Amino acid sequence: MATGDADRKRSSDASDSLATAKRVKKEDGGDDKPAAYNPYLAHLEAEKNGGYANSTIPKGSPLEKFTRRETTAKQAFKAEDSDNNPFTGEPHSQQYFKILDGRRNLPVHKQRQEFLDMYHSTQILVFVGETGSGKTTQIPQYVVYDELPQLNKKLIACTQPRRVAAMSVAQRVADEMDVELGQEVGYSIRFEDKTSPRTMLKYMTDGMLLREAMHDHMMSRYSCIILDEAHERTLATDILMALLKQLAQRRPDLKIIVMSATLDAQKFQKYFYDAPLLAVPGRTHPVEIYYTPEAENDYVEAALRTVLQIHATEPEGDILLFLTGEEEIEDTCRKLSLEVDEMIREADSGPMVVYPLYGTLPPHQQQKIFQPAPPPLKKGGRPGRKCIVSTNIAETSLTIDGIVYVVDPGFSKQKIYNPRIRVESLLVSAISKASAQQRAGRAGRTKPGKCFRLYTEEAFKKELIEQTYPEILRSNLANTVLELKKLGVEDLVHFDLMDPPAPETMMRALEELNYLACLDDEGELTPLGSLASEFPLDPTLAVMLISSPEFYCSNEMLSITSLLSVPNVFVRPANKRREADQMKDLFKHPEGDHLTMLNVYHAFKGIQNSGEDPKQWCHKHYLSHRHLSSADSVRAQLKRIMETQGLELMSTDFNDKNYYTNIRRALVAGFFMQVAKKESSGKIYRTMKDNNQAVMIHPSSVLQTDYEWVLYNEFVLTTKQYVRTVTGIRPEWLLEIAPVYYDLDSWDGQKDVKQALKSVQDKMRRRAAMKGGR
Amino acid sequence: MPDSSEEEDYMSMDFLAGEANTTQPETSLQRRERLKREAAIRGRPKSKAELAAEEKAAREEALSRSLIDDARSLAAQKSKGLSMMKKMGFAPGGTLGARDNAYAKAEPVGLSIKEDRGGIGLDAQRKRALDEAAEREGVPKKPKVLDEGEFRERNRRERELKRWEGQAYGAQKVCERMDEERDAQAHTQSVATGEESEGDGSADEQKQKQKKKRTLSTRPLKSINVLWRGLVRQREEAERERRMRYDLEQSLSRLPTYEDENEDEDDRRALGKTKTAYVPVEDLEEEDPELDEFNALEPDEKLRRLVNYLRDEYQYCFWCKCSYPDEEMDGCPGLTEEDHD
Repeated sequence: MATGDADRKRSSDASDSLATAKRVKKEDGGDDKPAAYNPYLAHLEAEKNGGYANSTIPKGSPLEKFTRRETTAKQAFKAEDSDNNPFTGEPHSQQYFKILDGRRNLPVHKQRQEFLDMYHSTQILVFVGETGSGKTTQIPQYVVYDELPQLNKKLIACTQPRRVAAMSVAQRVADEMDVELGQEVGYSIRFEDKTSPRTMLKYMTDGMLLREAMHDHMMSRYSCIILDEAHERTLATDILMALLKQLAQRRPDLKIIVMSATLDAQKFQKYFYDAPLLAVPGRTHPVEIYYTPEAENDYVEAALRTVLQIHATEPEGDILLFLTGEEEIEDTCRKLSLEVDEMIREADSGPMVVYPLYGTLPPHQQQKIFQPAPPPLKKGGRPGRKCIVSTNIAETSLTIDGIVYVVDPGFSKQKIYNPRIRVESLLVSAISKASAQQRAGRAGRTKPGKCFRLYTEEAFKKELIEQTYPEILRSNLANTVLELKKLGVEDLVHFDLMDPPAPETMMRALEELNYLACLDDEGELTPLGSLASEFPLDPTLAVMLISSPEFYCSNEMLSITSLLSVPNVFVRPANKRREADQMKDLFKHPEGDHLTMLNVYHAFKGIQNSGEDPKQWCHKHYLSHRHLSSADSVRAQLKRIMETQGLELMSTDFNDKNYYTNIRRALVAGFFMQVAKKESSGKIYRTMKDNNQAVMIHPSSVLQTDYEWVLYNEFVLTTKQYVRTVTGIRPEWLLEIAPVYYDLDSWDGQKDVKQALKSVQDKMRRRAAMKGGR
Repeated sequence: MPDSSEEEDYMSMDFLAGEANTTQPETSLQRRERLKREAAIRGRPKSKAELAAEEKAAREEALSRSLIDDARSLAAQKSKGLSMMKKMGFAPGGTLGARDNAYAKAEPVGLSIKEDRGGIGLDAQRKRALDEAAEREGVPKKPKVLDEGEFRERNRRERELKRWEGQAYGAQKVCERMDEERDAQAHTQSVATGEESEGDGSADEQKQKQKKKRTLSTRPLKSINVLWRGLVRQREEAERERRMRYDLEQSLSRLPTYEDENEDEDDRRALGKTKTAYVPVEDLEEEDPELDEFNALEPDEKLRRLVNYLRDEYQYCFWCKCSYPDEEMDGCPGLTEEDHD
């Protein structure tokens, strides 16, 4: 009971002590082991040990005369100008003052006093600043100078929707404050925590703060929480807003700042009890907007044409083109490069380099977009330019200077979840008006720009919705509901979200969690549910992992779970598909994709241990070294949680004939709701129960043996319906491992499936009877 | 049946005829054929387009059905998720979140799959262009929303009208046949009284003549009962058409009525003109308001009149398909088709 005891002692909230689950495998003598390390509770340890050197400000420090929450901008300027760093006591570096000059040119700087006055007068503040105002880097620092975290040992948190942003902004702010990253300024993201007991300002992903809140419902370690990029309305930010809205009343000392880049500020204000608003103008130039006279027949084709036309006729300035996905982007980049070469040959145009930009692109390639535009081909020749072809990550999160022309076809890939067919998928959809404005704004960062919209003005007015739907309306809420339960939210129905989703979505989530035995019939968190919420994973994966020791293959399931948590490890370049497929065949396991991925991982680990260059090896075998490495680190993190929770790590002997069978059975323990059965004719499979959809196995699957029953990781919705990452299973396992879901007496799904399962059941009974008789 | 005195001819194919006459709907061979055909249809792998359409239909169907309000399915009532929500104070039909949150969604966000690379507004623009073109052509705008119930009702009505039309046609034929039979009977009777020497065989002959007469009716149309006059008229019109075409084809490139002065008798014979006797059927050219009036009737009314006529004149019930000996028509359940169900 090591974990449970530890939790009980530390936690202020009794519900946390449910953390011990029935299914936890305990080792003998576990009781006298020291309390296991829990990363989410690290701060409590730190407090005990007195993490901060001093709890008063030393004499002679620039901050000596400061009174917490009563400081002025003037005081702060003086402290910033002083020779010694007010937080470390070290002398300031040369670079510091250089950066300081730049900081004082930012638009927010002028309003520092105004900000402080407002900050002092209210608990919740809505701050609106367009991109380029400097809010993300400056406001948290202003708060640090006012909150003086070293006095009360409470931190300031600033959330970011994306990991990359959290990391890069933290680095920038550490430089600005002339401290080492990970000391006074740190960051915390899903699989990495770069903070120390000295940390005062912590940048973190919104999801990370949410996970921390699960163990510390009062968020007691923070004195101020800043929600940045709230306009992006990620799932975690929405949940945090609702939690903080509640918490504000229980913790009057907690300050909350909601920062948004756009328009919809009134909505935030109203939601937070009519909180005051501070707006800072961005540093932007006017952008002229052009529409097409008629709707386009092919937006990719039209985009290509527009970019080339800009290059041929418009003056100097870089181009940003928004497209929807990796394939489309790579394809367009290739075509653009070819066309430009021809333009240079035939029309003596300037050079143009084309860079793709999308989420799964390796960071060093993402960095390329910041390279300056190429020089003219010859002296006095036409100026060169760069063209960036990007997904909507360039819409808000990445700021690229030098963009003067934006080409906007009006589409993006968006996650959509519909509880009626239980499908979560990425679909190409029309963007919102707010998105279109944001995209246009990207053209006015350095000088007046132009935005070419590849649709008519009428279409803009009539066909685009006002705001993009917040993520919470487009997601499966199973994970969220589990988190909320763990956060101590009892009344999920009246939980005060800014945009409450459809009731059906919640109903599905509750059902799913009930089938996974994470919630009981009353809707209460079960020990298994509580344990599952410890993992930063989907409930399906978490439950699969927790049950894996029962199938003697937790080591292998750990690997598979990690591989499923990272992007696809197989690389398949458009011009080398055959070679890539041949290489993939080397790892092929006839029983399915999960096992194939496991083979890849084992091979990868083997290479790592053999001393061969794994990067080289991955390249040769058309595997993504980056994704495999990140799977490796995810695995390490998950392994730590397994150990903390007392879940045994074990493997079946590789030579045992049940080695792979056990793994497949363990998969069923999590994925039993994602099963499809083959129809009598053709290659069509049909998904189970009320989710009655015809699907085909995705062409990328290795599964060739005709399995009648398969489980899948993902339902892909395009013009066809596919299931991806598929493994063959046996129907007996469904009845054995998920008897509640496959209870034939209450079966309301397809009749033929019931028939098939019935006969399997009979067979099983006969076999059992025969064994019993013997 | 083979004669009993003769040896039974085991090679005889008579049994086939016997079997064909039985009421058995299909032979084993036919059955096998049918099953094979059906299996082939079932076993045929569906084309990609068919599959895509099926998938889409299934998806749309699922997407349009609310999980909570769906009274038809028991799933909603059995749903543990819903019962948990009810325990937290959720009422079906309500929304989540704080009480007066205007942003609360009642329905999940819809989902549409983009199947091509058409730009934003393309579909709307195409539709508009189509509408405009239609307007120019003067095609009346279609009613925007067609109720599903309305559509079904219209379809049903159309089917019914077609059926009645068919039945009325059948009834007309019965009327004509019965009428002819009665005339023939009257005729043979009169013949029999005049020339008793002729036997049964001549009566048969007579009947055959009568039959032939049907196609070459010389009776003035107006004397035929209006109930089936349309039938006769139609037939004669078809016949005239056929004859005219035949004549035209026979006429070797000239209109048969064309008189060429240079032709002598031989030429005419060679061109087959001597035979030509073009007699316009004046009857057919004439207006017939009575028939027009009858044709304008709704098919069910036509059918009703025909059925009544058959009952009154011949004690024949169109629905029972038989004649009754007396006026009471004992045993016939009634006047309408429904009565005979």
